[in-house]
Amino acid sequence: MKGSLSVRNIVIAGVLGAVAILLGVTRLGYIPVPTAAGNATIMHIPAIIGGIMQGPVVGAIVGIIFGVSSFLNATVPLFKDPLVAILPRIFIGVVAWLVYVGIRRRSEYLAIGTAAFLGTLTNTVLVLTMAVIRGYMGAEVAWTVAITSGIPEAIVGTIVTLAVVLAWKQIGKGKKSKISEDL
Amino acid sequence: MASEFELSRNITIGQYVPTDSFIHRLDPRIKLLVFTILVLAIALNTSYLGNALGLLLAIYLFWASKIPISYGLSGIKPAIPFIIILAVLQLIFQGNVFSGGTVFFEYGFILITSESIRLVIVSAVRFVEIILLSSVLTLSTSTTDLTHAIQSLLSPLKKIKFPVHEISLIITIAIRFVPTFAIEMEKMMKAQASRGADFGSGEWWRIIQRTKDMLPIIIPLFNIALSRAEDLILAMESRCYTPGNDRSSYSVYQSIGRDYIVLVIGLLISALLLFYHFPF
Repeated sequence: MKGSLSVRNIVIAGVLGAVAILLGVTRLGYIPVPTAAGNATIMHIPAIIGGIMQGPVVGAIVGIIFGVSSFLNATVPLFKDPLVAILPRIFIGVVAWLVYVGIRRRSEYLAIGTAAFLGTLTNTVLVLTMAVIRGYMGAEVAWTVAITSGIPEAIVGTIVTLAVVLAWKQIGKGKKSKISEDL
Repeated sequence: MASEFELSRNITIGQYVPTDSFIHRLDPRIKLLVFTILVLAIALNTSYLGNALGLLLAIYLFWASKIPISYGLSGIKPAIPFIIILAVLQLIFQGNVFSGGTVFFEYGFILITSESIRLVIVSAVRFVEIILLSSVLTLSTSTTDLTHAIQSLLSPLKKIKFPVHEISLIITIAIRFVPTFAIEMEKMMKAQASRGADFGSGEWWRIIQRTKDMLPIIIPLFNIALSRAEDLILAMESRCYTPGNDRSSYSVYQSIGRDYIVLVIGLLISALLLFYHFPF
């Protein structure tokens, strides 16, 4: 593990974790959409971006930070259960990374978009699965939520991730610290 | 309208109420450990009596830490409508899933059994318990203490090459940057709004439009975050920070008698909640 967490990985994970916490506590992470829940969350997007930019370890760590912060801030009993709030979130960044690496060679845009889409679906599916297992909702309710709120969320997630990653790739050129690459 | 842009006011992370009580003086490592085990035990307990015990314990801890319980209740207040709606939904739709026990009411697909009522009440009470417990922990422990505690609790994992120090550094960076980004966001939202930006007043069915409305704040937020990250990376690397090296700590915690007593009591209560079969 020693080599896998470079200074870059540590800092990016920390900073994206801060964004995830901020989106949650300021309610900016909720985009109002026409679903039963009324909101599509974008709080998992830092985890996806962490996965795409820095690999699965950073993605998983940002996911955990997002999970813990959603657990501590939760206003519904469902997310006051650590097994629902924290555990599924670990996999968001990992899935996003796997998808991104798998498709990257064909097209960068397609890879980022698909990674964001599937990363968001990972969040929805795993959280709802845990919710059903832990008895907060029945399977029918979960299916309804998955379709009515999961799909818009995945659309929103794809747009935001694409916009953020592409904007950063344009602006961030030449800004990167080169020291660690020399070491 | 102005309150829409007041982001930093709502942030309670790192909020700390210094009353110098018994709970405040406990070793943060022990506090965190007992808290984690208690929350897990409460999350897995499904009996009325067990959850009543948990609730009493949470209230007692508030009293013992001399923190006004209103701090804890302020976390519950906004949640009350959700709790009620969820309870009603669970009551109506969950009877078929948790069909054990006595059937009280049956009409069409609505089936209310003693087990589904138990589920509703227990999950509501469990929610209140966990909110109270986590507020006691965060209100009586400073962020620095918490991250140090996390680091030293995870330190046995160093044996399997788990990067404990790095993880706690990540947590510190994350918590440190939340207020900074909140201030930046405030500036940005005001700047965008003064140029006529419109946050989310498009028609509600146009998901893509509403997402696009948020982009003028979300993209700069990530960009600010990432460019600050680049600055920090450069600063750390130019000071020759090397991940994975052994470091000594400025503050060293020493557990004394009362810490161990609290640990034993916490473990006993958790074991009771986990393994004892409560009659109700």
